Amino acid sequence: MKGRFVPTGEATIGPFFPPRYVDAGANDLGVLEGRKAKGEPIEIHGRVVQEDGTPLENLLVEIWQADAGGIFRHPADPRHAQADPDFLGWGRAATDNQGSYRFRTIRPGAPQGRAPHINFMVMCSGLMRILKTTMFFEKNADPVLGAVPLSRQQLLIAKPEKPGLYRFDIRLRGENETPFFDD
Amino acid sequence: MLSIAVITIIQPRDERSQPARIVPGYPQTPWRNPQQPLLQRPPTLSELTGPLEVAKRVRLLGGDIAGHGERQAIGQLIHLRVRVLDEDGAPVAGTVVEIWQANSAGRYIHPNDDDHAPVDANFYGAARLVTDESGAFELRTVKPGAYPVRPRGGWWRPPHIHLSLFGRVWLSRLVTQMYFPGEPLNARDHILNAVPDAAARERLVAQLLPPSAEPHNALVFEHQIVLRGRAATPEQP
Repeated sequence: MKGRFVPTGEATIGPFFPPRYVDAGANDLGVLEGRKAKGEPIEIHGRVVQEDGTPLENLLVEIWQADAGGIFRHPADPRHAQADPDFLGWGRAATDNQGSYRFRTIRPGAPQGRAPHINFMVMCSGLMRILKTTMFFEKNADPVLGAVPLSRQQLLIAKPEKPGLYRFDIRLRGENETPFFDD
Repeated sequence: MLSIAVITIIQPRDERSQPARIVPGYPQTPWRNPQQPLLQRPPTLSELTGPLEVAKRVRLLGGDIAGHGERQAIGQLIHLRVRVLDEDGAPVAGTVVEIWQANSAGRYIHPNDDDHAPVDANFYGAARLVTDESGAFELRTVKPGAYPVRPRGGWWRPPHIHLSLFGRVWLSRLVTQMYFPGEPLNARDHILNAVPDAAARERLVAQLLPPSAEPHNALVFEHQIVLRGRAATPEQP
């Protein structure tokens, strides 16, 4: 019988993550190898701030989501054979000197048993561990949104600014702090 | 028939092997870590899947960053042999690994690093590659130097190499740092020592292999990284 191997300790990404690792186009999930993903193109942008409201520059945001049909491009999804071949579901952005990030993607469909959503993670200097949260489009029944106290659920709902444009701000600490998950 | 296990089970973390979030002596940590308790959530397919084809979105850079011929980086040439495993000890093959480090004088190529230490024109310090079938990769580089942390307060980072890995699912994503054995600064580093368990800290330190005939010009270090998750083979219908 194999012994259990203990997961390696996390550490901060620090202030020196190479800028070239935020590849041109890494924040555009709507295009893969020159081909357009199926579905409704949307943009998501927001600001990331620390406790005193200071915007955080050089912070890394990564997202993971289902395609327009609610399918994840991963063999654990029973429907993955039908996943959009032109949609990877993953993207990366870095915040600018205003603390702002931006993604282009498509509006995800509802995966089985879930409301449409996008998984977020943030990494920066001063975060010893990756922080994970989930963005929703509407307050629908969902087991992950349901794990958030009612009074804080609104903080995970993106704000529609105009058709196809959503704002999702992330406050790491303090008043109206974004709910993060222990996983 | 699909022969690889595709379902990943995520177990609760072993907290003593993971760092504290707020670290005394690391001034940014109290401003940036949540005040509210982190929320428990039921794992769903969304968190138990993840990007397996990151290399389609980012450009691989290879794992040989010490330079060649006339353009060799200055410093102690090292080969770093790393294996990436899951919690069963099974190899995590084909996953993207991003590596970055300071040069041998302790200077990063980054707009945030305006330290006095010299830039080495032949050393950029960034490698990006994919693990092989056995979950292994090899990095040819120079040993990074130590450097003082800003704001200046007597804290120096020991020589270390940063690693970012994806693994099989969203919850297996890992950003970590690897240290070198026998470095006196290891015992004083706020980041390494934020991990409470001594054995877990020891696992963040690479091992020096006994020098051998090949490679004749480089020291060889070995290291092991364990990503979260165990594979479960689904029952066949």
